[in-house]
Amino acid sequence: MLIGIDVGGTTTDAVLIQNGEVYSTAKVPTDAGNLLKSLIGALDEVSRGVPPENFKRVVFSTTVITNLIAEGKTDRVALLLIPGPGVNPASYVFPDSFYLKGAMDYRGREIQPLDEAEVRETVNRIREQGFSRAAVVSKFGQRNPSHELRVEEILREMYPGCKVELGHKVSGKLNFPRRVATSMLASATGERYQGFVAEIKKALEERKIRAPVYILKADGGTLPIEKSVEFPVETIFSGPAASTIGALALTPEGQTSVVVDIGGTTTDLALILSGKPLIASKGARLGNFLTHVRAFAVRSIAVGGDSIVRVRETGDGLRKVTIGPERAGPAYCMGGEKPTPTDALRVLGLVEVGDPERAKDAITAVASSLGKPKTEAASLIVDATAEMIAQAVREMFLEWEQEPAYRIWEVLQEKKVRPENVVGVGGGAKGLIAGVAEKLNAKPVIPDHSEVGNAIGAAVARPTLTLNLRIDTQQKVYSVAEEGEIVSLNSTDIGNFNRMRSEEAESLATKLLRERAKRFGVSKYADEAEVVSSEVFNVVEGWFTAGRLFDVSMQIPAGLIPEWDRREKA
Amino acid sequence: MKLGLGKIKDALKGGSEKNTGAEKKELNEEEIEPHRVEEVIVKTKTSEQKSEDEPENEPEKKHMIPVNRSGARRTGLIFFPAFDWAISPTHPEREERLLYTRDQIFEEGLMDLPQIAEYKPRLADFKDIARVHFCVPDIKAQATTPHLIAAGSCLVLADALMRGEVKNAFALIRPPGHHSMTVAHGNRGFCNINNEAILVEYLRKKYGIRRIAIVDTDVHHGDGTQEIFYNDPDVLFISFHQDGRTLYPGSGFMNELGGPKALGRTINIPLPPGTPDEGILYVLDALVMPILKDFRPELVLNSAGQDNHYTDPLANMRFSAQGYAKLNEKLAPDMAVLEGGYAIQSALPYVNTGIILAMAGLDYSCVKEPDFKPGMFVQAARDRQILEGVVSTQLENWNNRDSLVEAEIAKHGDFYRRKKQIFYDTDMIQELQEETVRMCPDCQGYVTIDSRAHRSINDTRIFGVSVPIYACNRCQEEAREEYKKRLNSPVYEYVYLQDKKADEYRAYNIRTKQETVY
Repeated sequence: MLIGIDVGGTTTDAVLIQNGEVYSTAKVPTDAGNLLKSLIGALDEVSRGVPPENFKRVVFSTTVITNLIAEGKTDRVALLLIPGPGVNPASYVFPDSFYLKGAMDYRGREIQPLDEAEVRETVNRIREQGFSRAAVVSKFGQRNPSHELRVEEILREMYPGCKVELGHKVSGKLNFPRRVATSMLASATGERYQGFVAEIKKALEERKIRAPVYILKADGGTLPIEKSVEFPVETIFSGPAASTIGALALTPEGQTSVVVDIGGTTTDLALILSGKPLIASKGARLGNFLTHVRAFAVRSIAVGGDSIVRVRETGDGLRKVTIGPERAGPAYCMGGEKPTPTDALRVLGLVEVGDPERAKDAITAVASSLGKPKTEAASLIVDATAEMIAQAVREMFLEWEQEPAYRIWEVLQEKKVRPENVVGVGGGAKGLIAGVAEKLNAKPVIPDHSEVGNAIGAAVARPTLTLNLRIDTQQKVYSVAEEGEIVSLNSTDIGNFNRMRSEEAESLATKLLRERAKRFGVSKYADEAEVVSSEVFNVVEGWFTAGRLFDVSMQIPAGLIPEWDRREKA
Repeated sequence: MKLGLGKIKDALKGGSEKNTGAEKKELNEEEIEPHRVEEVIVKTKTSEQKSEDEPENEPEKKHMIPVNRSGARRTGLIFFPAFDWAISPTHPEREERLLYTRDQIFEEGLMDLPQIAEYKPRLADFKDIARVHFCVPDIKAQATTPHLIAAGSCLVLADALMRGEVKNAFALIRPPGHHSMTVAHGNRGFCNINNEAILVEYLRKKYGIRRIAIVDTDVHHGDGTQEIFYNDPDVLFISFHQDGRTLYPGSGFMNELGGPKALGRTINIPLPPGTPDEGILYVLDALVMPILKDFRPELVLNSAGQDNHYTDPLANMRFSAQGYAKLNEKLAPDMAVLEGGYAIQSALPYVNTGIILAMAGLDYSCVKEPDFKPGMFVQAARDRQILEGVVSTQLENWNNRDSLVEAEIAKHGDFYRRKKQIFYDTDMIQELQEETVRMCPDCQGYVTIDSRAHRSINDTRIFGVSVPIYACNRCQEEAREEYKKRLNSPVYEYVYLQDKKADEYRAYNIRTKQETVY
């Protein structure tokens, strides 16, 4: 049996799956002050009466990191930055930054050495200022981490108690400011996250649940919980990822869908293109910081079942309804104070929550202000809400079409896809999905168990893994962005570097991906790995080819575990 | 006409101007029979509104009104490195050219800055190309996909600019274009089609912009752009470059001031080899900026080559990344389009970072090449004097432009004619041209070009007629007549009509008798 639990902002949802079927579900309110309690509460409820040895796998998606950051409950981190030439570091907005001399260029060649005396002086300063954590990030540190490593050595020698995070270990992707932010957040949340993981393990131990435990990442992949403490920030936004994987699990294979999760205050959108959830081309934004965290392309709009409904006069004297962006509190029919889309849905009989009389009163007030009959007013409210959601979906597709292209084939590629399905997940979807689908000329789909689609998504998500290999045959080295080590090409079985071909680069990448999958305990999925892109550039110096640069990007994409048989659910 | 420096004899040899007065070649006036002409209308898709669906007779009314841009805060950017295109694997114009620039600007996180708006490239329409070039044998042969994307990128940014989405824009694209002239027989100086010229004609046709200034800051003379707008008094073309006696394409001397009716609207600033930041910024302050101020263009474009850099392998100047950033800050172009620049590791990553920051109004003071030390290049006193001479000569030419035009027009009758010899270094083509400009009292006059290209054993002769966008009706009629007259002339292989006034472009293949309409 598989357990999936999604700790959301309002409720914590859980599902137990047996033989590819939903066996039981549970919903408990989320206690923002004690996520662990909500999580365990949902676990206990969904697994009641089932012997613990029956569980084969437990997956959580949690907002713990998102909450820590949103509430500012993070630890102080000293940022030791080595920016080198380029943008003036004075324009960065990172707190607690200490700038060091030294620079690498885009190929990892040192252009300015570290000033060790300056490093030592800085270490003394951060100790005096009471920092117990430091993140060391150098521009192009992923192309040559030797400055970061040397600063780490000095830190360990002079200030052994200090916890150190290195930029090149956190992300190997280009973008220094994002690497700084990601390293800072990883360092700032690391210990608290470790504490959270320890408590989960203790709670499971008490319940004699010995099944492997995973955490869902923002890219919809699972990560063994022990491994996740190395990458705490990867777990942000796992909620929308859970819903998306849930929608993937509950709709027919290979179709293009927009996943709509309508909540009280906001509606979250995600795209599934020909059966593949769309990954954002850049990392996720977390509060004020842009990060390198790989995440689904999700969009959140400030409209939901509990948004305020207002009547506004437009310039030409006409009156029209507007929805949101603020939340009205609960819907009027649920004992709230203001009319909401939920009241309109109730009046139209599209949902069966709350007091029908109160809903009527709320909508009558709107109707008289509009000067229209009650039912028409209700329809106008529902239509306006659906239009806002549909418009956001159209914008999402447009944004995807308009993503920058750097190669001829990318420009020539026709990106003109529109959704076949509008898939509603979560509690609020029911009454509105049909309207949204109609506007998008798509089929409305509200699958069975859609109210716990997020928990199902967590339960059936498979691991993801990426590997970005860069080979520089002139310098005779390769590096894997995710691992941050520069390795000599002599350690490979490639004979003549100068004659190296893309096929050899790709087979090296495949081999490294297998090794990495093994370390992550996901060897089972290594065969699912695909080459996302593979490029080669000649390095020409003085009119001769001096070497080649290969960039190979591989991934095990997000998907479902084989234990889930989707065809039966479609 | 003041020619300046007195060192220009060599340059005159290739481009001697001949005044042939009113006399005009007699031509076979046989009418073509309509049924013998097969017409092919080429319509390619564009993401923009199609102009061919609009009424044909009133081009002036087609313009979309440019939006007030004063509210725009961001700098539009298209980075199109064409990582899958090269002239040949070790050619300077190869896949790798913008690779390290990509690494630098991505690592800097420039695309994330709220001051930068990144756009997606698109393909230019064939019609956009036909508005500028006579492509031999056809557009497809000269403008391959990467060329269409590079030109299309400029048009995407032009639209963003005119819609008021951005305050300025930088097309960081390849392949380049500023050596391409009106007639395109092949690749010259790494260029097939002229991105800036395509941009200018697009801006004029779509948005009704009239006065545009192009400042060519590439180390090589922008001879293609100069040639295209040589007779156009509405386009001010200023090029500074390493002295043509020491560098390809061997032109760009101070006596090249424009055609008779556009004298002074072409300003060339030959710089002594080794000129550092100081010299170029001096020329900018003392000459370029005052002329721009006086000309009052609606838009300023920077044809932004980066090969004045002190490490460029193809030239001998001493310009730095700081210098480039400062230049763009001072010039404040509405749009910059990348041209040359082949120090792909030692210059381009830093120069481009500097230009982007400067255009976005951000602090570029920390952008520097690894080996750069302030004060490492000093302007030689002798070169300083030369530059002062250039500045005073060209200021005088500029200030006297109206009287120069008047005096020159008086020398010619109904037609002005000149012969040109053009060499295509990349494709080894020798072209001989005779250009004729109608000396019309009401407009700038239509232009005809009779061009013969020798490429190894192949000879191609074409004839092209070009009607300026603001031509008078009589010139338009006469020009169209000229086109018709040539359609049965066996001396040509292809005949072209470029009617910018009607936005109608025709190419006629004499052998197949097929006419293509763009």
